[in-house]
Amino acid sequence: MEHLILRDLDISDIDRIEVYEKHGGYSAFRKAVKEMAPDQVTDAVKVSGLRGRGGAGFPAGVKWSFLPKGVFPRYLVANADESEPGTFKDRQIMERNPHQFIEGMAIASYAIQCHHAFIYIRGEFPHAAQCLERAIAQAEARGYLGEKILGTDYALRITVHRGAGAYICGEETALLESMEGKLGQPRVKPPFPAVVGLYNKPTVINNVETLANVPLIIERGADWYAKIGTAKSTGPKIFCLSGHVNRPGNYEAPFGSISLRDLIFDLGGGIRGGKKLKAILPAGASSFVINPAANEAVLDAKLDFESLTPFGSALGSASVIVMDDATCMVWMAKKTSHFFEHESCGKCTPCREGTYWMARLLDRIDSGAGTLADIDLLANVANQILGKTLCPLGDFSTAPVTSSVKAFREEYERHVKERGCWARK
Amino acid sequence: MPQVTIDNKKVEVPNGTLIVEAAKKVGVEIPVFCYHPKLQPVGMCRMCLVEVGTPKRGKDGQIELDANGAPAIAWMPKLQTACTTVVSDGMTVRTDTAQVADARRAIVEFLLTSHPLDCPICDKGGECPLQNLTMAYGPGQSRFPVESKFHNAKRVPLGDLIMLDRERCIQCSRCVRFQDEIADDHVLGFAARGRGLEIVTLSDPPFDSKFSGNTIDICPVGALTSRDFRLSARVWEVRDYPSVCAHCSVGCNILIGERDHAIKRIVPRENASVNEIWTCDKGRFVHHFTVAPDRLTTPLVRKNGNLEPATWNEALDLVASRFKEIKWHDPNAIGGLAGDRASNEDLYLFQKLFRQVIGSNNLDHRVGWSVTNTGADSVRVYGAGVGTNLGALDQNVTALVFGADPEEEQPVIRLRLKRSARTFGANLIVANGRVTKLAKYAKQSLVYQYGAEAYFLLGLIRAILDERLENRDFIATRVQNFDAFATSLEPYTVERCAEICHVKPEKIRDAARQIAQSPNFLILYGREAMFAQQNDVAVARALAALLLITGHLGRANNGLVALYPHNNSTGAIDFGVLPDGGVGRTRVERRGLSAREMLGRSNERPSMRALYVMACDPAADGNFVKPEFLVVQDLFLTETARLADVVLPAQSFAERDGTFTNTERRAQLFRAALKPIGEAKPDWWIIAEIAKRLVSGLQFQVSGSQVSGNLKPETWNYATASAVMDEIAATVSLYKGMTYAALAENVKLPRPRSGQGNPSEQPTEIAMGELENISSGKVWASVAESDARAKFELVWSEPSRPLTADSRPLTLAVARSLYDGGTLVSKTQIVQARVPAPFVEINSQDAEQLGIADGARVRVSFDMRVIELDARVDGHVPPDAVLIPNNLDGTAALPMGARVKIEKV
Repeated sequence: MEHLILRDLDISDIDRIEVYEKHGGYSAFRKAVKEMAPDQVTDAVKVSGLRGRGGAGFPAGVKWSFLPKGVFPRYLVANADESEPGTFKDRQIMERNPHQFIEGMAIASYAIQCHHAFIYIRGEFPHAAQCLERAIAQAEARGYLGEKILGTDYALRITVHRGAGAYICGEETALLESMEGKLGQPRVKPPFPAVVGLYNKPTVINNVETLANVPLIIERGADWYAKIGTAKSTGPKIFCLSGHVNRPGNYEAPFGSISLRDLIFDLGGGIRGGKKLKAILPAGASSFVINPAANEAVLDAKLDFESLTPFGSALGSASVIVMDDATCMVWMAKKTSHFFEHESCGKCTPCREGTYWMARLLDRIDSGAGTLADIDLLANVANQILGKTLCPLGDFSTAPVTSSVKAFREEYERHVKERGCWARK
Repeated sequence: MPQVTIDNKKVEVPNGTLIVEAAKKVGVEIPVFCYHPKLQPVGMCRMCLVEVGTPKRGKDGQIELDANGAPAIAWMPKLQTACTTVVSDGMTVRTDTAQVADARRAIVEFLLTSHPLDCPICDKGGECPLQNLTMAYGPGQSRFPVESKFHNAKRVPLGDLIMLDRERCIQCSRCVRFQDEIADDHVLGFAARGRGLEIVTLSDPPFDSKFSGNTIDICPVGALTSRDFRLSARVWEVRDYPSVCAHCSVGCNILIGERDHAIKRIVPRENASVNEIWTCDKGRFVHHFTVAPDRLTTPLVRKNGNLEPATWNEALDLVASRFKEIKWHDPNAIGGLAGDRASNEDLYLFQKLFRQVIGSNNLDHRVGWSVTNTGADSVRVYGAGVGTNLGALDQNVTALVFGADPEEEQPVIRLRLKRSARTFGANLIVANGRVTKLAKYAKQSLVYQYGAEAYFLLGLIRAILDERLENRDFIATRVQNFDAFATSLEPYTVERCAEICHVKPEKIRDAARQIAQSPNFLILYGREAMFAQQNDVAVARALAALLLITGHLGRANNGLVALYPHNNSTGAIDFGVLPDGGVGRTRVERRGLSAREMLGRSNERPSMRALYVMACDPAADGNFVKPEFLVVQDLFLTETARLADVVLPAQSFAERDGTFTNTERRAQLFRAALKPIGEAKPDWWIIAEIAKRLVSGLQFQVSGSQVSGNLKPETWNYATASAVMDEIAATVSLYKGMTYAALAENVKLPRPRSGQGNPSEQPTEIAMGELENISSGKVWASVAESDARAKFELVWSEPSRPLTADSRPLTLAVARSLYDGGTLVSKTQIVQARVPAPFVEINSQDAEQLGIADGARVRVSFDMRVIELDARVDGHVPPDAVLIPNNLDGTAALPMGARVKIEKV
C-alpha cells in the first residue's frame, strides 16, 4: 500500500525538494494560498476529521478556530519535542520527509494567518534539526517561504528552536515557557495557548505528524481524507513499535485497520527469541500496561483513539512497547517511575514529591526490601497524585504503576516474599 | 456581579474575583501555600483544591433544574485550584467534602515527605503556615521513611541578609514572584527540576535588592531566614510593639519585636496608605544602633578639659545657668539646631523653649541638607490632598516625579509608584538630571540639564499656555496676578527653554498636554529638586505655578508632595524649627539665623555664644567651630558631642513614645518597645527640664512684674509624650485633634501568636495582608483644601541662570545612597557589605574625553576642596554632569551645582 506520511519508504530522496515537488510536493500549499481563503483551509481540516497525533487526539481544525479574532501577531508552533519513551515517528518524518511537514506548517500558518512559525525540536535530535533547517532553506529558495510567497502578499518565516532536554517541554505550555527562554514549567490553564500563547499572543501548537497530514487534506480533499480510517479517527497513523519484537520500527496504517496482534505478530514479526508476549505499553511510558493474558480480546481490537478504552488503556501517541515473558513488571514500573521522577519539572507538589516517593517505593520493592503494605502504599501514593497535578505529567506517572499493581499484583507480592526480583535471579 | 455559593453560603463578588478571595468573604478558609493576595496566582502548591461546579445547561442554553427546582450543578471532574479559578455567576464551590479533605491531607503529606521537620531549631516555628496547615489539615502520621528523605543544602547565603535552607523550601515561588512582581528586581529564580528544583540568586552581588527582607515574611516555611535574626529567639518569646520606621520619610509602619530589652527583629506592619505590607532592608535591619555598646548612658559634663559622667541635675542645672547667663546679655547669642530625626513632641518643645523662654529665633533643622522657605510654604498651601494614596494612583492621575531618586532615598515610594503605574495605570512623568530606577515605569522619562530645572518647568508652563490648556475658570476665580505672570513669561518660549534644559521641545509639549489634560495631577519632588530650589527660587515658584494654572490642587491626587530625606523632616517644618517659620507653618516676624549663619565658616568667629544641638551632628560636615558653650543631646558621642561642654543622653525611638510626620504629611504614632539604655531620657523630657529650670530663675528675675503663661514652670510639666501631643492637638491648628488616641485608630497588632494573649486565637502569619487594607495615621490638610475660597498668587521669579544656552563645565550633582556611612548604619554589621565605597559617576562621553576608565581612581576638585574617589562610568548621568552620593565616607556637605574638575590620579 502507498504510504501517505512515511513516503520516504516509497520514494527515495524525498527529502530533496525537487524530488518532493516532482511527486506533487507544495501543490497543496500553492492551492491553499492561491485559491483558498484562510477560513476555507481551516474548514477543510475540520471536515477531514484530522485529530492531533501527539496523544490527546484533539481535532486540529477546531483548535485552529479557537484563536480570538483580530489579535495579531499569532503563532504556529510545531511540537517536535518527541520525548515519550518508545516514540520515534516524528523523527523519521523530520529526517526523511521533512518537506511534507514543512508544507503542512505553511498551510496551517496560512490558515491561521501566522507569519512566523516555530519548530520546537528536542535538543537530542540534532540531525533532525539540521534536516529541517536544510529543508526550510530549500523552501525559501523556491519561494515557498519568505516574503510575497508564490506571488501573493502572504509572508511566512519558520524558525527551528532547539530544546535543552526536558520531557516536560513536550507539554505545550512548558514548551512555550522554554521557547521564551524561561525554565520549562507548565503554565496554569486557562488561559489556553490559543488565547494567550507564545509571547502572550494567540498560538496554535500541533504535533509534527498532525501537520504532516495537512497537505494530504488540501491536495486530495477533506472528503477523501475522511474516508481513511474510522468515522471518529480519520486518516493514516504511524505506529511506533519497539521492545521485544523481531522487527521494531514505524508502521503506517489507517486508523482502525490493524490490531495489536497484527502490529506485533504480523508487521513486527512476533516476539524476539521465541519468547511469549507478556505485556504491552501502548502509549509509551505514560500507558496503562496491558496484560493480554487477562483478556485476549485486547489483541484483536482494531486500533484507534478509543478502541483500547474498554481494556483500561489508551492509544495515546501509539508508541507500542512490547515486553516478553522474561520481563519483570516491577522492574518496568520502577523504570517508568524513575523516568517520571527525573522528568518532573518540580513546579507542583503532588508530581514533584509523588514521583520521588513512588520511585523510592519501587526501589525498595524491587530490591526485595519491600513489604506487602508497601504495595498498597504504592498504589495509594499514585492515587494521591492522580487528578491533583498542574499538568498531565503527574497523572501519566501513575498509569504504569497503578495498572501494573492491578494487572500483575502477584509479581509484586513475589518480590516481597522472595526478597528480590525473580527475573534477575 | 457574579453570585457564587461556597459551602452553601451565597456571596456576590466583583468580576474577576478568585474563589479563594470570595471564600474569605463568607468566612470560609481555603488553605494556601503558594497563593498570596499581593502576588499573581500560580497554582503550584495544589493546597487549595476544591470542588467546583457550574449551572448545568441544556441544549437550548437554559439552566436545568434539579428535582427541588434549584439549578442543577455540573461538577467538574477534577478538583480545581481555588487560587487560580475565577468565579462565575452561579458557580458552586464545596470545600467541606471528604474529597477535598483527602486532597489537602495528600498535599500536606507530600510536602512533609521532603521537609526536614527541624521545627525545634527553625526561626519560622510558631508562625509557620506549614506548621499551622499541617495541624489543621495534615495526616497525623508519617508513611514516609526518614532514610528516604531528599537532602539538600541547609545553609545557603542567598545574599548578605538572607539565608536559604533548601531542605525547608516547598518551591512555592513566593520569593521569586515578590522580587519579579513587587520589587521588580529580578534577582531570584528556580534552577534544576523535579525534587531538585531549588531557589537560586541570579545577581552579582547575590540577592541584589533593597527589599530582600520581605521574602522572609512571605516565605510560608522557614526556608528564607534573616541572617540577622536567625537562631536568636523563638518568635513566641518576642513581643511586638507598633512603631514607625525612623529612617527615611516614607514612615513605614513596623512592629518592633523585642526580647530581653533588645530589638530582635523588625517586621512591617500593614498600612495600606503608606507601606502596604512591605518595608525596605534598611528599615528592617538597621536597628542595632538602639542597643549599641557605645550609646551614651549618663550625662557628661566637661571638667578640666575632659567629659566626665555627671548626674542629670548637675548637667541640667549647668545648662540652665549658662543659658540664663548668656540670655541675660543677649538672647540672640543662643542658637538651636535640632535634627529632623527627632519626634514631633521633641521638635515642638525645642522651638517652644527657644521662642517662649529663651527669646531667640536662631533655630534650624537643616544641617546637611536644605529646604527653602518657598518650598516649605508651597507644601502648606498646595500639599497633596488628603486621601492621596501614592500606591493606588490610577489612569486618571498624572504624576510628575521631579528631581527625585526614591530607590535610594524613599525605597518604598519606588515600590508604591511602580504599583500605581504598572497595576493601576497611573501616568508617571519622571524628570531628573539623570536616569533613575523609577524611569522605567514612566510613560515619559525626561532628562534635563542640572542647573536648568527652572527652564524645564517654565517650558512646561509656557507649553500649557501656548496651547490654551490652562484652567481658565480656576484662574479667573482663584488665581491672582496671572496676566503679569504671563507677560513675564513672554521671552521664555518652549524652544528657548528646551535649548537650555536639553529636553526636546516636543517632549516638553507632550508632557505639558498630559499634565493639563489629566483629571488629576500630582507633583512629587525630591532632594535634587530641593537643592535646585535652594540655588534658584524660580524652581519653587514654577512648581507652584504649574499647579495653579492647571487648577490641580485642593483635592486628593492633586497638589504637591515633598520627598524629604528623613523620617520627620515634615515635622521639623511643621513645628517651626526654622529661623523664620513658626509652629504650624506660620511665619515669625523677626527672622533668626539659619544653621549656616549660626555655624559660620572655619575662618570666622562663631556668631553664637551658645549652641544647643539636638539629634544632629554639624561637626561631622567639617568647618565647625565650637562656640563658648555647647550642649549636645544625642544617642552617641558624635563629632559635635566630643567638643561639647555638656552632653545629654537621649533615648532612641525604640525606648519611648512619640510621633513622626511622614513625607505625605501623615502623623504616625510609635510606641516604646525597649527599656531605656542607662539613664537616657526622651528628648522632650530633657527640653522640658531645661525649660523649667530657666523659667523658675526667670520668674525670680522678673518678680513683681507680670509673668506670661509660658514662663510659669507648671506650663512645662509633661508627664508623658502623649501630654505634649495633647497640647499640640489643642493649640496647633494643622494638628487639631491629633491626640495619641486619634493616631492609634486602626493601629492593630496582628493576631497573637501562641504563648501570647488568647491561646484560642489562630496563630498569626506575617504579611498576609490579613488586616484587609487598613490605614492609620492622620494627614493634615493643606490650605488649598481646608479653605475652598482661598485665593492664590502667581509669583514670578527670573531663573537665576540667564536665558542663554551656554556650554557648561562639569556640574556636580549630589545624590544619596540608601546604605550610607552614617552612625546608625555603621552599627549594623550585617549591612556593611551593602554600603558602597565612595564613587563619582561620569558620563561615558566625558570619561572618554578625560581618559578615565570605569573603576579608575580620580581626583575631583570643586570650591577649594579636593577628594579622591573611584570613577563609575555609566549611562545614568548625562554629559556635563558628575554625580557623587554625599552620604558615603568622606563625601559630606557637597555643594549641588558646583563646577568641578576631574583628573586621573
